[in-house]
Amino acid sequence: MKRRAILAFTLDHPGVLNKISMLIRKKMYNVDTLTVCRSRIPGVSRMTITLRESDQDRVDQVVCQLEKFTEVISVKELDTDHSYWREVAIVKLEIEASVLETFHGRYNFEILEQKSDDIHILQVAGSTRRIDAFLDEVGQGHIVEIARTGVTAMEK
Amino acid sequence: MNGKQLLLKALKERKVRFLFGYTGGAIMPVFDEMEKMGAFEFVMARHEQGAAFMAQGLSRASLSTSTPQIGVCLSTSGPGAMNLVTGVADAHMDSVPMLAITGQVATGVIATDAFQESDVVGVMMPISKQTYMPLAAEDVEKTVHEACYVATTGRGGPVVIDLPKDIQNQQAGDDYRFDAKKFRPHLPGYFYTPTPERDPIRQAIELINKSERPLIFCGHGVINSNAGDLLQRFIEKVNIPVASTFHGISAIPADHPLHLGMMGMHGTVEANRAIMEADLLIALGMRFDDRVTGKLDEYAQNAAVIHVEIDASEIDKNVRTTVAINADVYRTLHVLMGDPMLTCTPRRRWWDKINSFREVMKEDLREEIEVGIGNDNKLLMKGIVHRLSAVTKGRDLVVADVGQHQMMCARFYNYQTNNSWFGSGGAGTMGCSLPMAIGVKLARPKERVWSISGDGGFQMNMQELGTIMEKQIDVKIIILNNGYLGMVRQWQTFFFDGRFAGTPMLSPDFGLISQAYGIPYRKVELLEDVVPAIEEAIACKGAMVLEFICDPSEVILPMIPAGGGFGDMMIRHPHAPKKDQTKQGEAA
Ligand SMILES: Cc1ncc(C[n+]2csc(CCOP(=O)(O)OP(=O)(O)O)c2C)c(N)n1
Ligand SMILES: [Mg+2]
Repeated sequence: MKRRAILAFTLDHPGVLNKISMLIRKKMYNVDTLTVCRSRIPGVSRMTITLRESDQDRVDQVVCQLEKFTEVISVKELDTDHSYWREVAIVKLEIEASVLETFHGRYNFEILEQKSDDIHILQVAGSTRRIDAFLDEVGQGHIVEIARTGVTAMEK
Repeated sequence: MNGKQLLLKALKERKVRFLFGYTGGAIMPVFDEMEKMGAFEFVMARHEQGAAFMAQGLSRASLSTSTPQIGVCLSTSGPGAMNLVTGVADAHMDSVPMLAITGQVATGVIATDAFQESDVVGVMMPISKQTYMPLAAEDVEKTVHEACYVATTGRGGPVVIDLPKDIQNQQAGDDYRFDAKKFRPHLPGYFYTPTPERDPIRQAIELINKSERPLIFCGHGVINSNAGDLLQRFIEKVNIPVASTFHGISAIPADHPLHLGMMGMHGTVEANRAIMEADLLIALGMRFDDRVTGKLDEYAQNAAVIHVEIDASEIDKNVRTTVAINADVYRTLHVLMGDPMLTCTPRRRWWDKINSFREVMKEDLREEIEVGIGNDNKLLMKGIVHRLSAVTKGRDLVVADVGQHQMMCARFYNYQTNNSWFGSGGAGTMGCSLPMAIGVKLARPKERVWSISGDGGFQMNMQELGTIMEKQIDVKIIILNNGYLGMVRQWQTFFFDGRFAGTPMLSPDFGLISQAYGIPYRKVELLEDVVPAIEEAIACKGAMVLEFICDPSEVILPMIPAGGGFGDMMIRHPHAPKKDQTKQGEAA
């Protein structure tokens, strides 16, 4: 199933998120990630939804039906070739500082806190795949806790 | 002024005359204010669902008059609001503008499971065009105006305003000002484009001109944009046959020589065969519902499609278009009509073909109608509807319920009056007819209104006889009583080996019911009494109930089985009904 990102600008009203998520449920999707933030324009939110669908027609229909909502100002699908998809993870690792050092330069992370000799809290930013790769390389055994924001995206 | 006063003031400014509803704790302040103002005609339904259908009837029937009105229904919180749900969902499916105003518990106790609290906005959101909950008296007036604007523009639909009780009573601040005339809702995400763009119009004309077998579809959008007359002139100009969707019926006279009747599951042979053979479909204001298309991958395979539709999300949803015109039907037809490039060709071969399709069932149907009786000498619905049509010259307003009788009304009444056919299409809600007919009559008091139900559907909202009695509403009520949930029985006959599970029904004495409500009643069992009974109802001042005893084994044909394609259209009864099982059913 192809991963899709849908970017919507919506009025910042109560119930809008509910309405959008209800439509996505009605269309029988399981949301992969959903992020909402303020946009440049006061009163307008920016929402990025990712879900999995191979059929282009069905995605177009979701976009059309989202567009129909009174609170939705504009919607479009962002394809991976012409947009940046990024997320941030906060990870608590049980790992020697020296081992962590070996990742430096190769991955984009920042140490937020060193709680003890081998407990580090760090922040990793990048594409989903990049973060996955980092976590894989660190190894499940070292991960104590992980929090990810979900994808936000922007057209190139 | 306070919230309830601002609410009613705004409704008044929106030219609302009728309020349909039912009171209760959370809406009492509004009712009280309404009584004090004395500015509305209040119609008390006997069940909130009835109020919602009355509001729908008013909206739909008044749309083609010089004074269109939006139907408004009022209910209390919790159970009152939940009783509106079916009517709101139904209006949503059928694009009917309507305003539902529900009382809500006070803001201080919302979300504490207070007495009669339901999450109305949560429930209504997916089944309405928009929902509001004003949280200050100052927002009430603006909300009503915006709600009416949203409900009635673009593709119409129901809008719900859930108004907490404390806001109804809250005073607006001293400096509160609102000018309804100057008010423009701020809706940056709400668009509709009534005027068609040039390019698709040009492409459409090219397709029309070169098409050898074109076919026009007359959808609900034709009625909603008041384009019936214009469509008639258009088809006459281009000499193209037209088929109607369920809700497109009555936009042009049913017996117009270019009209092929209703399309789809129970559509005419000529409409459905024409769809199979057409090389161009020109769809006006419709959404290609599955009851219209049957199996999509077999649908109109040889045809290019021009789709004129005000709701952009309907274009390319079910049927892929060749040319999409996202615009109002009236304006599109107007532009097409005025275009000098549009040509008219005789298309003799196409018409010969269509005329041959017209012959397929013609004789059988004519004979059935003429004989008028089926098994056990019981009346045939199609014969009754045909005779009603003849007596009323096809000029009356017909509000059908849902079932076989509905399809008979769609097929065998000869609609002559624009916007004279009403009912529940998208949702197919049994019980809609009686309350909807009340709204229709209030919108068009000078015209005669027939509510036609089956024995099943009639009993779903027959409590609205109380409203008819109290308000002395002159609707002529027909019950086509076949002792069964007939439409389901038909499916059981065709596809479930004639096992009549849950469809035989014992009905009360409708004569006594009518009498209890003080409404004259006549039962009709013989063919020769059909016309006199209809004439008696017409002569009767005020409402009258006619009950016709109908043959349960009558079927409505053709039929495209659910999920089937047009190639699967049945034009004959696949097997004679199994007599012994019929008896069993009747005993049960
Ligand atoms: C509220 C509701 N419940 C169930 C149905 C399913 N249904 C469709 S037609 C029908 C039978 C209607 O029977 P009746 O009103 O007697 O009309 P007839 O078909 O016999 O003319 C039923 C049960 C429905 N459409 N609406
Ligand atoms: Mg029946």
